[in-house]
Amino acid sequence: MIKLQNVEKVYRTSSIETLALNNINLDVKKGEFVSIMGPSGCGKSTLLNIIGLLDAPSKGIIEIDGRKVERFNDKEIAPLRNKMLGFIFQSFHLINDLSVIDNVEIPLLYRSNNAKQRRELAEEALEKVGLANRMKHFPKQLSGGQKQRVAIARAIVGKPEIILADEPTGNLDSAMGNEIINILQSLNENGATIVMVTHDDAMAKRTHRLIRLFDGTQVL
Amino acid sequence: MIRHLIKLIWNKRGTHALLIIEIWASFMVLFGVLSMIVYNFTNYLEPIGFQYEQVWNLDLKNNQDTIDVGDKLKRALQRVRSYSEVASASRMSSNAPFSASQMNNSVDYNKINVLADQYYTDEAMRATLDLSVESGRWFDESDKVSKYVSIIINKKMKEGLFTGDNPLGKVIKVDDKLSYKVVGIIDKFKSHGEFSADEPGMFRMIGKDDNWNSNMMIKTKPGTDANFEARLVKDMATMLPGWGIEVSYLKDSRNNRHKITLVPVMIFLIVSGFLLTNVALGLFGILNLNIAKRRGEIGLRRAMGATEADVTTQFLGEVWVLAIFSIVLGLLFAMQFPLLGVFDVPVNTYAIAVLAAILIIFLIVTLCAWYPSRQASRIHPAVALHEE
Repeated sequence: MIKLQNVEKVYRTSSIETLALNNINLDVKKGEFVSIMGPSGCGKSTLLNIIGLLDAPSKGIIEIDGRKVERFNDKEIAPLRNKMLGFIFQSFHLINDLSVIDNVEIPLLYRSNNAKQRRELAEEALEKVGLANRMKHFPKQLSGGQKQRVAIARAIVGKPEIILADEPTGNLDSAMGNEIINILQSLNENGATIVMVTHDDAMAKRTHRLIRLFDGTQVL
Repeated sequence: MIRHLIKLIWNKRGTHALLIIEIWASFMVLFGVLSMIVYNFTNYLEPIGFQYEQVWNLDLKNNQDTIDVGDKLKRALQRVRSYSEVASASRMSSNAPFSASQMNNSVDYNKINVLADQYYTDEAMRATLDLSVESGRWFDESDKVSKYVSIIINKKMKEGLFTGDNPLGKVIKVDDKLSYKVVGIIDKFKSHGEFSADEPGMFRMIGKDDNWNSNMMIKTKPGTDANFEARLVKDMATMLPGWGIEVSYLKDSRNNRHKITLVPVMIFLIVSGFLLTNVALGLFGILNLNIAKRRGEIGLRRAMGATEADVTTQFLGEVWVLAIFSIVLGLLFAMQFPLLGVFDVPVNTYAIAVLAAILIIFLIVTLCAWYPSRQASRIHPAVALHEE
């Protein structure tokens, strides 16, 4: 489903060159739940951004669902992000000026769904995460766990095959964190391929496979 | 997407209130200035209705002289007509073309009332100003002895007072002693110049012993120069000792009249230009700041599948929605002008001004939003999400 070959990422400024990822090789099969762990600054988020096509590698090959995408332009990448990938972030990234249901509808705005279809899909996604009763609320009226559940609903509303979660429990207490992992596990059981960056060993143990990074290099 | 943008703006209406007021104020100012410009321009496109080249206005003032004024004026006119340089000359009331003087009277016919400019003149005026008689005739000697006071009206007065009827031969009773009879209809007579509206107007014949209407319109032959003017003034001064004598060229009076109209328009244009520039710069600054504050949202939208073009369109769309809110508010105010008839301006003038104002507002907001929106679309999603 996701294949990375000899991926390298170098950040360059006028005076400094930083090697963020070095020779990463990764193969995530369809339906797998993979976690990425490592100390701060080891390149976990960079790797997730590259898998999620939010950032381009300096070198290497990326294959998503059999398509080599590292040379794709903006117009080719955007629909792929929209249809294949769902993102969950540590800081939720909800738009405070939109209601819960409007936040969940965002990925569908970049598709050809009409307003009614968007509403139905968003309601369905919110029901899956147990927030059907909070649709009209605004993010500021929700707890951290509820916000993350809204973010999950937004990630799954377009029924993507891959979900990328960047420390989804990082801003939550352990009870809330468990609740989020339970949801992710249930999505995985329903066929979603999940790649999750985490600092938490206990969370990582609940995934199928653990990938460790250190200083931008994959630890085997 | 439009619904989404409206929701986004509506939910942030408190934050955007000042921006909406700013755009609304610009719309109102533009509406005012453009109404003025459209009004003057549409008037300008209408023919003036008379010939002013080579025509001079000889303004005679009897001052302290009260003896045989009417007779003296008659002799003065005969003298003027006798010059070989003069093609035609006629007497006229003080509201001569392009002058600041105005005389109007309310005229009633069949319960319809029209306020009409009134001009006193004679049988030679048609030739002097090249007036175009549409139907009927111009004044002749018979009008001096007719039972009713002969009048010649313009088309505007015909449309206003006779609504479809043929006015020729119709008698308009003013009071027990005075009744008018329409003997001719001319096309237009915009005596206040090209920028003025074509108002209802009527001409009356100057009476035999009239000693009030002491202006003379003199149509000179081509090539007549200032030497003749000097000779004319000198001769008049000899004929009419103690009288005030002033010669002005209608061409110059027309230019002065243009200035009276155009100077306020220019002033309003400059003031509104400054205002709009300020609004545009303010808008540009606010949008830049707005986008800087919403980098996380931009990153998120890109992650959710928005292309660069989608982000540009979204920010432009938000500004357009704001402009629509402001314009709708502005229209509520602008509509009052034609509805209440605040000024005597045709409805289509307001309609054109509104359309032009909307177009300019959209042009300004699009220009102001274009650069920040393009900048927003170029924000790297990974960087924007990381910053958040």
